[in-house]
Amino acid sequence: MEESRKLICSRCQVEMTPAKAYFSYLDHSFHTDLLRCPRCGQVFIPEELVKGKMQEVEMALEDK
Amino acid sequence: MREDNRSGEIEETAVLRCTYSVCPICLRRIEARHVRRKGGVFLEKECPEHGAFSVPFWRDRIDLADWIKDAEPIREGENLNCPHACGLCPDHRRDTCCVVLEVTGRCNLDCSFCFAGKDGLSEPSFDRLRESLQQLIRPGATLVQLSGGEPTLRDDLPELVAEAKKAGCKYVQLNSNGIRLAEDRQFVKTLADAGLSFVFMQFDGIRDGTYEKLRRRPLLGIKKQAIVNCGECGLGVVLVPTLVPRVNIDEIGDIIRFGVALSPFVRGVHFQPVSYFGRIPRLPGDEDRFTLDELIWQIGEQAGDLVRPENLGPSCCDHPLCGFHGDFIVLGPGKLLPLSKRDGHTVQDSPCSDPADRSREFVARRWQRGEEKLSGNPLNSRQDDIQDMDSFLERLKVHGFTVTAMPFQDAGNLDLERLRSCSLHVFAEGKMIPLCARYLTAWRGK
Repeated sequence: MEESRKLICSRCQVEMTPAKAYFSYLDHSFHTDLLRCPRCGQVFIPEELVKGKMQEVEMALEDK
Repeated sequence: MREDNRSGEIEETAVLRCTYSVCPICLRRIEARHVRRKGGVFLEKECPEHGAFSVPFWRDRIDLADWIKDAEPIREGENLNCPHACGLCPDHRRDTCCVVLEVTGRCNLDCSFCFAGKDGLSEPSFDRLRESLQQLIRPGATLVQLSGGEPTLRDDLPELVAEAKKAGCKYVQLNSNGIRLAEDRQFVKTLADAGLSFVFMQFDGIRDGTYEKLRRRPLLGIKKQAIVNCGECGLGVVLVPTLVPRVNIDEIGDIIRFGVALSPFVRGVHFQPVSYFGRIPRLPGDEDRFTLDELIWQIGEQAGDLVRPENLGPSCCDHPLCGFHGDFIVLGPGKLLPLSKRDGHTVQDSPCSDPADRSREFVARRWQRGEEKLSGNPLNSRQDDIQDMDSFLERLKVHGFTVTAMPFQDAGNLDLERLRSCSLHVFAEGKMIPLCARYLTAWRGK
């Protein structure tokens, strides 16, 4: 995640802040740091995370 | 159905499935049935010339129907040339996952059991093997297993590995008894430098007595040294035990424990319940068969703290009766995190990928050493936060561990329904031949 990047929550119009976000997939749960709206809790998941590590985790759990 | 059994008593039986097999004496293709009777499920068949045969293949430790699920039975008129015209005909149902190339007939052991047998003399020339490699390799995809005999008896094996890589082979696996790998560390280094991906090493147990029975000499110290030499050169090792009733069934749990303790050098255990082809000490009785469901049950009994039976599922790349796989991460010397579970998400749910391609990538990713490959400590038990996505992925690459099995078929239990879904092929005579068809040998007497 780029440190200098500032994101505003589209719903609450406040700046999103780094926070630990939890995911679960096929009975396993994982966490990673993402930008999250301090008011409504909405998180921003960058495309590079979806196509990178998240896909790797999915493949690891789906393998064979 | 009620019928007389061998001792003249009336026994309840049920025909579960019809299939085809061969007569173990003359190898002619004959009809066969899966029959449930006392003691499990048997493959039963009758040759008009050589009589009736019955071989147990399931002992009801796991529900057979639940394990096989919707595997399609072979129907009348299908696979008519199987297994005698084998060479992947249009009726064959699987592409090649792994391809075996025999690089020598020579061997430095004289094992009681050996499916490849050994003729002691024959060895194809380097040029002939190069030609074979060029024919069999699909650039960027192939996983080739260099096999034998004992392939390390060839001094030019590193050049063969390099040749396979040059021809575009994605993964090169060495099938070895480990003797030269233990005694000649420089040879191991040369193999690693040439691009060898990982080693499948014969490893029948943690007792020298087991090796004396199966391999006719004590080999445990040699196996351990071979693992260390491979590990220090960055090569992953998969332990391959041949499981024989009354010899090493009670070592199943200890073999898994041994492998886990040596992660990341050891990448997994690949069990092979004994099959009776090639060189065998005698023709098998029912008590000489060790079935796939018994193996899974024994794993739970002997190593249930590490591997639970529900974490082992049928291989999607081959017929369900041809093996299982389990995928884990080593969290410490005595702890595995299971990633796979039976009835979980499988490749069949993924319409976009070919099972053979996907299975090949899976095993190769697990068996090849991860990025930490030369950092040295095989007993690294650093406790990461395994739920952290980065730690999970890192630990999986370095400390991934598989528990897999493949029971080969012989003239007694050959089931053509299984054979037509085989993805492990031998390259011979210019064509791909399913392994159990290639090594099929007739029994000389009933």
